[in-house]
Amino acid sequence: MRNVVATPATRALARQKGVDLEALSAKLGRVAVASEDILGQSSASVFSTGSNYWDVDHARFGPISEDPLSRFAQAAARNLTASHATIPAVTHHDRADMTAVESLRVQFKSQAEARGTKLTALAFHIKALARTLEEFPRFNASLSSDMKTLILKNYVHIGIAVDTPMGLMVPVIRNADRMGLWAIADQIADLASRAQSQKVRSDEMGGASMSITNLGSIGGTAFTPIINPPEVAILGITRTEAVPVWNGETFIPIRMAPLDLSYDHRVINGADAARFVKRYADLVADPRRLLV
Amino acid sequence: MATRHADFLVLGAGPGGYAAAFRAADLGREVVLVDPRTALGGVCLNEGCIPSKTLLHAAKVLREVNDLADWGVTVGKPLINLDRLRQRKTAITQKLAGGLAGIANQRKVTVVKAFGRFTGESSLEIAGEDWTFGHAVVAVGSAAIRLPGWPEHARIWDSTIALELREIPPSLAIVGGGIVGLEMATIYSALGSDVTVIELSEQIVPAAEAEAARMVANALMARGIKIHTATAVLAVDARGDHLMLSCGGSFSGEIGASVVIQSIGRAALGGSIHADLAGVEVAGNGVIVVDRSGRTSNPKIYAVGDVTGAPMLAHRATHQGKIAAEAAAGHAAVLDTDIIPSVAYTDPELAWAGLTSGQAQAEGIPHKTISFPWSASGRNLASGGETGLTKLVYDPQTERLLGATLVGANAGELLAEIVLAMEMGATLTDIALTVHPHPTLSETIAFAAERALGTLTDL
Repeated sequence: MRNVVATPATRALARQKGVDLEALSAKLGRVAVASEDILGQSSASVFSTGSNYWDVDHARFGPISEDPLSRFAQAAARNLTASHATIPAVTHHDRADMTAVESLRVQFKSQAEARGTKLTALAFHIKALARTLEEFPRFNASLSSDMKTLILKNYVHIGIAVDTPMGLMVPVIRNADRMGLWAIADQIADLASRAQSQKVRSDEMGGASMSITNLGSIGGTAFTPIINPPEVAILGITRTEAVPVWNGETFIPIRMAPLDLSYDHRVINGADAARFVKRYADLVADPRRLLV
Repeated sequence: MATRHADFLVLGAGPGGYAAAFRAADLGREVVLVDPRTALGGVCLNEGCIPSKTLLHAAKVLREVNDLADWGVTVGKPLINLDRLRQRKTAITQKLAGGLAGIANQRKVTVVKAFGRFTGESSLEIAGEDWTFGHAVVAVGSAAIRLPGWPEHARIWDSTIALELREIPPSLAIVGGGIVGLEMATIYSALGSDVTVIELSEQIVPAAEAEAARMVANALMARGIKIHTATAVLAVDARGDHLMLSCGGSFSGEIGASVVIQSIGRAALGGSIHADLAGVEVAGNGVIVVDRSGRTSNPKIYAVGDVTGAPMLAHRATHQGKIAAEAAAGHAAVLDTDIIPSVAYTDPELAWAGLTSGQAQAEGIPHKTISFPWSASGRNLASGGETGLTKLVYDPQTERLLGATLVGANAGELLAEIVLAMEMGATLTDIALTVHPHPTLSETIAFAAERALGTLTDL
């Protein structure tokens, strides 16, 4: 049964205009949606893809070619649009001292090779995130569909965003809180490679406590990741670089990873977000803290 | 021989096919409509919906005239001229088929009388000629399923033969108590046959509300039609001048009949067009797999109607046909509703749309039901109607209508209000506050809603 009440004519209009009725209904905060609600969506609205701004004959300006978006890409577009439009999101920027993590990677390198495991910084990030989520339960949660209840989760599953030829996929590492570093590293490698060849199973998708999107291997100083609903936050990481940090007397170079935590402000406020990221950064800066 | 090209080619001129063809023509496409029959309209017009409703009308009037004796108006035993009745049926179907031919002509649709079969991803062979196409719509329909292991016999009929009205058999056994079987029972019983219906499921019309099926069964039995449910035909002996059916189950024993009609369902004809050569996925049962716009696994080929599977109903085919034409023209067209009404044009009629209480129960959907008995309907009694029922299924929290079933005269006509109400998201209050005319059968729908709300003053 539909959760949205819309007449056949309204449904047809929504399809024509590329408006997602479920998302519009959620945005309006009511079940019944009328044609006026769809027409009232201005051209600048993020829902409307059939609006005047896009209805342009580009060939007038020069040669063009067309690349139809796959169904996967279209579905992703709808999900991202809905997320961006319905969640009041704020992004908190900070950075984590990666000195200890990088040192540990070097120390573990021969062990890693012997195991046949590729140990990346991401494994450490996931371990730190899993612990931080245990300590900040309201980040490991989802709003109920009527927005009246916060559902707190007694499990810690971490989604890892993987860039694949088909588009962005987010396979999930289940129970990352109970996994050791090697196990997490193996999972990352396995899921990422299977995501590339579209061999991730449906039970390995969905149900994450929170997702990580790591662009560190490519570059960047900061970005504003979009939350993956129904999660309440997402952690973005860009390139670790040596940055000058004032130690009271002089600037010293410290290798820092920029962190970008986008969060749902209906559930998390600025102070909580700042505390969450601070704790996360402290765990990364000194991984021994994960022992206690 | 030069290859011919069709911008928009439709295989099959039944309700799905001609809807797709004419809609595509209106959208500016150049259309070729291919069908092996001389007359357009497919099974529905020529050997299904229309002929059966014609004969059912005659059956109903015969029954009403007979009942009028209780009203002090005795007409005497009617004389049935089967040839004249058959001619009238044919005249009606021919008139409608002629109308379709006129529409095709007016819209400049090229009609080709032939079978078509695919030869490649955008090519077909039609009556020995090679064709290519821009888009194609497969609307080749379905055929009556024949029971396996049964002999070929001149007096073992399917519904098509039954509607030819070859004779009025003194005794008639109908295997399959679904809508088609019961309509055949209604026709032949009124014409004078002694009819027995044999149905495998626990109730006739298995998909309908149990209460409604029981009501229809009782009404048919009161008129002398025998009905055996939960019964299977184990063997058939066609050697004598009577056909002997050995039955097992709720009824065990022999049933003899001069004619047997098989009405156990229809099979999609997706396997008849070399679909594999066109890269079109067809399931094992002949059903062509499509998305909600009617697209098959070949993006240039659509499929609509019975060939896409259940429910095999003309009105679904028509909507699918239009949607396919629109989608092929680049519109965002989709059959976005699951509310497809069903009607058994028996006497009394049985009609339903949306959820039955059985379905809601099975799917764990919270629901309540409310009924209004037609024994309390002024119009029904005044019209000589018998038992009848209006039953609504609704969401207990929002009061929105989830489904409805109607039993009684004109149930099929009355159902349209229900379907519109559901599509518009109407609640019981919406229906109760809408002024329905009195005295009508339609007001029983408002009465049922009022009864649920506690505002009814007619019961």
